[in-house]
Amino acid sequence: MRGEATVEAPVRAAPRSEPSARWRARDRAKWFFLLPGVVWILLFTIFPLLYAIRMSLHAYRFGIEGAFVGLGNFQRLLTDAVLHEDLVTTFQFVISSVAVEMVVGVSLALLFNREMRGRGLLRTLATLPLFATPVAIGYLGITLFYEEGGPVNAFIQTLGGSQVPWLSNPFWAKVAIILLDIWQWTPFVFLVSLAGLQGLSQDLTEASEVDGAAWWQSLVFIILPLMAPLLWLILLLRAIEAFKVFDTVVTLTAGGPGRATEVISRYTYITMRKFSDYGYAAAQGFLLLLIVAILFTLLWSRIKHNYGAPR
Amino acid sequence: MADRKQLELARALLAGRIDRRDFLKQASVLGISAAAADLFLRAAPGARAQDSGPVPPVVAEPCGDDCPFAGQTVTVLVNTGGGEKGSIEGPFHEVRAEFEAATGATLNIAAVPFEEHFPKLIEDMASGTGQYDTSVAGAWWLGDLVAADFLLAYDEYYNDTSGKFPEWDYDAVLTGPRSLLEYGGSKYMVPNDHDGQVLYYRSDLFADSEHQAAFAEAYNYDLAVPTTWDQFADIAEYFNGKDLNGDGEPDSGVVLHLKVGQQGMFHFMSFSAPFVIGPENPKLYWFNPDDMTPLVNSAGHVAALNKLIEITKFGPEAMFGWNLPEGWSYFLAGRAAMTFTWGDLGALAQETAERGGQSTVQGMTGAGPIPGTNGYFNVATNAMVETAEPNMVGNTTGGSWAGVISKFSKAPEATYFLLALMATKPKSVVYGYRGWDGVDPGRTFHFLPPNGDNSIEGYEGGGWAAADAEAYTTAYFENFGAELQFPYLRIPGTFEYWQAFDVRLSEAVTGQSSAEDALNAAVADFEGITDRLGRETQLEQYRTSLGL
Amino acid sequence: MVSAASARPVHPEYVRAQNPGKTARKIATRIALIVVSAIVIVWIAFPFYWAFLNSIKPAVDTFGSKWIPWVQFEPRLDTWQRVWSIREVRQGLLTSATIGLGGATLATAFGVPAAYAIARFRFGTKGNMAMTNWFLSQRIMPPVIFAPPIFILARTLGLLDTVLALVLLAGTFNIPFVVLIMSQMFRDLPVELEESAQVDGASRWEIFRRIALPLVAPGVVASWLIVLAFSWNEVFFALVVASKDAIPMTMYIVGLSGTRGVDFPAASTMALLMIAVPTIIALTCQRFIVRGLSLGAVKG
Repeated sequence: MRGEATVEAPVRAAPRSEPSARWRARDRAKWFFLLPGVVWILLFTIFPLLYAIRMSLHAYRFGIEGAFVGLGNFQRLLTDAVLHEDLVTTFQFVISSVAVEMVVGVSLALLFNREMRGRGLLRTLATLPLFATPVAIGYLGITLFYEEGGPVNAFIQTLGGSQVPWLSNPFWAKVAIILLDIWQWTPFVFLVSLAGLQGLSQDLTEASEVDGAAWWQSLVFIILPLMAPLLWLILLLRAIEAFKVFDTVVTLTAGGPGRATEVISRYTYITMRKFSDYGYAAAQGFLLLLIVAILFTLLWSRIKHNYGAPR
Repeated sequence: MADRKQLELARALLAGRIDRRDFLKQASVLGISAAAADLFLRAAPGARAQDSGPVPPVVAEPCGDDCPFAGQTVTVLVNTGGGEKGSIEGPFHEVRAEFEAATGATLNIAAVPFEEHFPKLIEDMASGTGQYDTSVAGAWWLGDLVAADFLLAYDEYYNDTSGKFPEWDYDAVLTGPRSLLEYGGSKYMVPNDHDGQVLYYRSDLFADSEHQAAFAEAYNYDLAVPTTWDQFADIAEYFNGKDLNGDGEPDSGVVLHLKVGQQGMFHFMSFSAPFVIGPENPKLYWFNPDDMTPLVNSAGHVAALNKLIEITKFGPEAMFGWNLPEGWSYFLAGRAAMTFTWGDLGALAQETAERGGQSTVQGMTGAGPIPGTNGYFNVATNAMVETAEPNMVGNTTGGSWAGVISKFSKAPEATYFLLALMATKPKSVVYGYRGWDGVDPGRTFHFLPPNGDNSIEGYEGGGWAAADAEAYTTAYFENFGAELQFPYLRIPGTFEYWQAFDVRLSEAVTGQSSAEDALNAAVADFEGITDRLGRETQLEQYRTSLGL
Repeated sequence: MVSAASARPVHPEYVRAQNPGKTARKIATRIALIVVSAIVIVWIAFPFYWAFLNSIKPAVDTFGSKWIPWVQFEPRLDTWQRVWSIREVRQGLLTSATIGLGGATLATAFGVPAAYAIARFRFGTKGNMAMTNWFLSQRIMPPVIFAPPIFILARTLGLLDTVLALVLLAGTFNIPFVVLIMSQMFRDLPVELEESAQVDGASRWEIFRRIALPLVAPGVVASWLIVLAFSWNEVFFALVVASKDAIPMTMYIVGLSGTRGVDFPAASTMALLMIAVPTIIALTCQRFIVRGLSLGAVKG
């Protein structure tokens, strides 16, 4: 019951056949296939990264390099209270939105993992938010969350709730941003874990047909453990994507009220564009890279340790 | 027709009478015919958009075979406004054909997000690229643009009376807005929009005898257009929670638009001016001219911010997340008794649903200068200086979006021609009447006698209610002509200072920090920016801007 | 059970006695499924419906909740006409389309061969895994890191404000995605076919092009479409790089919050125009895309 087979099962179309030794032998052709892509990416990443190091050591104004400032920009990372608050906001965003997306997405997948009419339609519908242009969704959000009788509040008030200050209150503005992310990305968790569940053997799926207690047991002791590697991977991908959040914040709240919804990506963007401080923005970029790299390494090594490495 | 066919088609598909390929084929045929029908509809007179108000006359004659700027290209950088009906951006679309016919040049409109406008402009200039010939710039950018010598002064073109350029009258611009057009004695901005904030109130409510009696009863003085913020607060408190538009729902005493990252800092500037500026301190608001220490946490600033926070209690909570249109919509729907904002609102109030607008308050929109205080705080000693009369301060807060000519332009004359064309009286008068174009009044021909040479008939012809036009133009004339004026900051780095200021103010009004803390934080931000830009040069620039 | 149920009203006790809990459970599950489906459908579809409403509403009704055209307000198409008449909007859509098509093509052109290499060849003892990890790590890098240097570099290379720059950026940053999906696709192909071709003396390139590629064509299409949608929606690099000629629709939409605030009917209309393309992709190629996304996730 090691993880690897399970991870692949959901999506494997045909039984895997390993290339024979001949394929694995030294063959210069392989570089012909691999290198263009690798070199191309390096050209666009390593070179800018190296250049970013240089930038982070200089002062900038209006896109023109100024004095050499040594590690000054990196020192500012340590003392910039605004940056620290924005990092906290970003973490709040990532943790809340990804947690809800995982729980809801996986629950829905478990619920709909059965033969039923209209499942295809549901799946099709679920792909729509994934590709909906985020900047446009942000502006749409302003009208959806309009406090004086917009549709969301109208609905809440119909149910007997009171008017929610979605975009004017620091707390609720965070919730609004998180809700938009949940709207957009829960379908991803749902679709992928549904694909995963469908790959599990039929016997297991039918476990859901047996009655209450046994169903829970099969869920907790069989299905979830089998799904675990896949779920960890989804979690990893979502967390990393969530860290990059930018578009919806720009158009829905512009980081406000105050800086309640200011996330790190937008802060770096503001530093770079509005304060014309490319050097410090580059330093912030490296900090963000460090954080994401740590997060990635922790989660990835956990996945590899527990479930074996996918090749 | 098409709908029913589509339905039949879908039914056929479901029933399995046709396969999917056929369905697609037939559906696309239907789609094409629907599109054709739409084209037809568009040509039909009934489907035309409503009358959107007055249109400026053609001023420049077509040049025919003898075009002065044939083959040249003028690229104008504007904030994206939404195209042909976009604020500030719209008139450029409108004038494009006329300009191209009159000069032989081509006009390109490059619309970028508000947040990207200044960075793109100045980076383009700093690198000497010169892809923009002109930008419809915010007046507070001028410090950076002029200090770095990126702009072309247009004095020479303006003085050329050979008929090469459309003629307009510099002196027709009222002194307040005129001070923003020039920098260091040279002319840089060609007048277009004239920003300044005034008070708007519902004149029907203020004239209502029941309200008058109830107000006098509760507050021991008569209900009138407020001249101090204290009175403003009383009136806002009085009207808050009452039904102001007859729909049975409680409405608000005041509405503002305080969303961060937009132009929220301008409201605080207009608001706080009479707390800081007074007869003995006409100029010091931002920095101490001896050492560039920021003054924005002085007692006057703090008192102002606290007062603003108090007043926001009499408005919808949602306004902390509102940008201009949300706040304006609220007032236009008759849901607030008062607001203070730019000239756009007065004109938008005239655009009723029949004219494609959303106003329900035409003829009920009074206006007056921004209220004052009974005393201001000395920025040096933090002591209160009482004034006998209400201490009122005029303002030109806002962008006063107007064209500047890039030094790197390859077609500076054609560029000036464009800007001058739009600055001519026949054009500007009409821009002033309209709300949607974002161009606000500020020249003598926008005002009524004795302040100017427009007429009430002119405004009525432009779709205005006479009473509103009277109040509006008087309010603006008094605002721009006030003896004391808010010291508009135009030194290098203003863009950055104000960006930081905006965020801190938003934190305070939404209760994330106290007024003191927020303003102290703004001071720290300001110091950081000053240090980064160089304290000595900043100080020098600031002193020059004060005329020291 | 069904016939019994329809014959006369069924007392719950009776059902429970007949079939300990099973039928009641089934019915409950069924109801739960229907209710949850309805909630999910409304939850997903409502924002789209709302955008559509905004686009046909007069500006005065943008705020507040009028849901039903004709009954609560008179729908009108003038916002659509107005938006379509803006030269910059048509230009923006064209630019976005170029970025989408170009980016997707670039990413697949470089990504698919690299994926093939990782799936089929051996790079040292741990090389293949290292390569996979490396591609994955490219995917995690936040674009904001690259923005400052890319602005300066693009300026130096004269690529500022060119659609080419945006195509290159969109394409390049999506190569890892294609590699991750496609390497899994290639691994799932039985290798025997290719090996027999090799015995027949076909070159590696011929094997790839004649045998492997056609077999994974659906996967290539899926990843091409997904990258197309991603690139179409891209705004960050556009904000940094574009300034006049290369402004895509996304950037134009961001700008709708201008000096005088957001024009919501126009914003909603443009949002629908933007969403239309990915929606058509999603609707027509849903199967491919779910598979593509799953692979991207499953093999990370």
